[in-house]
Amino acid sequence: MSGASILRRLAWTALVVWFVVTATFAMTLAIPADPAKALLGPHATPEAVERVRAYYCLDKSFIEEYGCYVSRIAHADLGESFRSKRPVRAIIAARIWPTVQLALAAILLQLLVGVPLGLLAAARKNRWPDHAANLVGLLGQSAPTFFVGTLLLYLFAYRFGWFPIGGYGSGLVGRLAHLVLPAATLATVGVAYYARVVRSELVEALEEDYVRTARAKGLSERTVLVRHALRNALGPLVTLVGLDLGLLLGGAVVTEYIFAWPGLGREVLQAILDVDLPLILGVVLVSAIAIAVANLVVDIVYMWIDPRLRG
Amino acid sequence: MKRLLLILIAAACSAPDRGPHWRAGTSTTPHDGGTLRFSTKDTLRTLDPAIAYDDVSPPILHAIFDTLVDYEPARAGDPTSGLAIVPRLAERWEIAPDGRTYHFWLRAGIAYEDGKPIVAADFKTSLERVLGMPDSPFGQYLTPLDGAADVIAGKATTCAGIEVIGDRELVFHLANPDATFLYVLAMTFSAPLRADHLAAVGDQMYRHPLASGPYMLESWDEGQRIMLRRNPHYVDPARAHLARIEMLESIPSDTQFLMFERGELDTAERLTSPDTLWLREQPAWQPFVHDRATMNAYGIRMNVRVKPFDDRRVRQALNYALDKQHAVKLLNGGAVPSHGLLPPGMFGRDDTLAPYPHDPAKARALLSEAGYPHGFDVDYVTINDEEAEKLAASYQADFGEVGVRTHITILSVPAFASAIGRPDGPPFSYDGWVGDFPDPANFLDVRFHSRMIANENSNNVSFYANPELDALLDRARAETDRAARAAMYHRAERILYDDAPWVWDFHRAMTEVTQPYVRGYEPHPVWGRDYTSTWLDDKVPR
Repeated sequence: MSGASILRRLAWTALVVWFVVTATFAMTLAIPADPAKALLGPHATPEAVERVRAYYCLDKSFIEEYGCYVSRIAHADLGESFRSKRPVRAIIAARIWPTVQLALAAILLQLLVGVPLGLLAAARKNRWPDHAANLVGLLGQSAPTFFVGTLLLYLFAYRFGWFPIGGYGSGLVGRLAHLVLPAATLATVGVAYYARVVRSELVEALEEDYVRTARAKGLSERTVLVRHALRNALGPLVTLVGLDLGLLLGGAVVTEYIFAWPGLGREVLQAILDVDLPLILGVVLVSAIAIAVANLVVDIVYMWIDPRLRG
Repeated sequence: MKRLLLILIAAACSAPDRGPHWRAGTSTTPHDGGTLRFSTKDTLRTLDPAIAYDDVSPPILHAIFDTLVDYEPARAGDPTSGLAIVPRLAERWEIAPDGRTYHFWLRAGIAYEDGKPIVAADFKTSLERVLGMPDSPFGQYLTPLDGAADVIAGKATTCAGIEVIGDRELVFHLANPDATFLYVLAMTFSAPLRADHLAAVGDQMYRHPLASGPYMLESWDEGQRIMLRRNPHYVDPARAHLARIEMLESIPSDTQFLMFERGELDTAERLTSPDTLWLREQPAWQPFVHDRATMNAYGIRMNVRVKPFDDRRVRQALNYALDKQHAVKLLNGGAVPSHGLLPPGMFGRDDTLAPYPHDPAKARALLSEAGYPHGFDVDYVTINDEEAEKLAASYQADFGEVGVRTHITILSVPAFASAIGRPDGPPFSYDGWVGDFPDPANFLDVRFHSRMIANENSNNVSFYANPELDALLDRARAETDRAARAAMYHRAERILYDDAPWVWDFHRAMTEVTQPYVRGYEPHPVWGRDYTSTWLDDKVPR
């Protein structure tokens, strides 16, 4: 893969991040009240209000205020939460790790269940395993997260008591036990989608000449399917994983709420209800950067696995 | 495999056993040890008593911080208990006859979690810190102190009204007599803090409290769980039976109750309507359901400067139009109809006043008299809360019956708070007041004294100004004779009842359910969930 194409994509990512930073700045202008007063509360002295206004450059021109904002973001200073009076950076830092764990666990589950399901459906095309996989896929994609989450919680935590009902847990075993149901909830849609994508890619690949050649060489059906056909279906799968990872890093609001998982989604939901603008903008910024970076990684991996894209 | 599946399906479809799954042992004397587990649906923001001003932190902060005086514990079966002031870190105190000097003697042997003694100067340190912190909401409570205003304004760093005599004596000098001052000293921000601790933790005070109370911080995973453990240097063993107290954060109400049923939590509060109704119908759970009137009032506030609410007859008409039983039903019985702001059991409340009766005919007659024979259209603003929205729909129906066509607008809590605190904001809205301490001054002064009117963040959100009431409230605040003071508040209640700057609706009670083995517990009218006297009995499976 050429350095120029990577540089080009890096530049695009930087442009997207700049756009997001500017867009979030525009949103700060939409705050109906004086941010200094919102931060300090009704009992603040005029001196304290002035100090905060000077820090945020609210007493300067529009351009200087924008410059201050970009400079603060560049120093990872996302301001202070109106509600808790704590640095937004510290709040996001505390919440991002639970979200990362949940996102990785969900994607792992999607791959571990979705890919074999897609393989099975393609290998048994138009026979009952294919129809069954289709049905599972349809159900998984149509069921809303709040329904799946509540159902899993009711059955496997409340009725059978196999997993804890909610929370984060401590220690490796405790954490894994708490992680299973929210990850399974998030993965339900993904499993269905991954299975369908893998199936359709494989069905198409199995018609190709190189598969016929592989079969003619006397390779076993399993080798043909996994070594040759599946390899060519990996491209779209990499894209899906990258996009999912970016999206999930912004927090899975409904799932985190149902299972009281202390991630970014739960935090941003509370921030929205409290109109805690610095925190909302901080999460928007982090999510947007996560998506941009995930896209960049997908592009690079894609180029690596598909030589035709290296230009 | 098939058999297992069938068993699981049968188990999932059968009616679950919803407990109680345990019964208590037969101990009559409290046990020491064990961890009490409970949850909150919100997150804990700070452990700094100078900042914390919310409804999540009290059970934690009251366990960590002791003050000079405190409230007696609430007693089961006694709905008015829990409001009397008792000594805590103070051994005794004397109030001068002029009501301006409070002299305290500290209890012997009191110490912080690190074993170092609590001395009189530490109270001065923490109170002056509150006065000097622009973002502390509590400085205003200390303004009765001589010199407090200078510290707030940044003109002084020490407060002349706080005098320290040696290690164990503390004298407060007030500019004017103030009958509420003892209650202010029971608020958590008045807890002692050592200067060297404050210097060492700096801006991390929010997560490094210095315990003077029965429990100390063991760990806090912010947004997830906080764990307290017994303070080994605490002097009163009757307030520290539990080895640990654990609070899980961000647990939704319905999840909380599922966890409680499965025994993952020992208490549950703020239950959803279906859970409350179900609990009330279960004889097995009845002994463990605790109801307690708390210090609050809810209703509709009107901006009395804006038409048509500038006419007292309109305000009275709306009071007659409201059927207060609707709110009682909507809150599953956890509410008492009100005649004013002062909740039942509070000193100064006039119990001879009855709530406005539901009388639509009288309401219509008053509206006609005021020039609105066909009613009027009005916007009603409320918060995005399930209960508040249900109440809004109920008000809409009641007022519709007398021709007042109500249009509901729903706002987020911060937007709502800043909107109704302005004279040009929405004139007709939901309102509630939860007292900081059980004294009429903390209710009536805050909401109806003209001194509390401001152009932004006004506390007097009715913008009600009545010189007669102002004078009465000022005299009552300074009055040291309790009976005379009570009579003044009775008169104040009568004035407000007749003038009706609110549509008085209800006082809310809290409902909490505990596992059978949780003993020595009763919700507190001021602190709410207060587990400092609680102990855990043997847990015997049923």
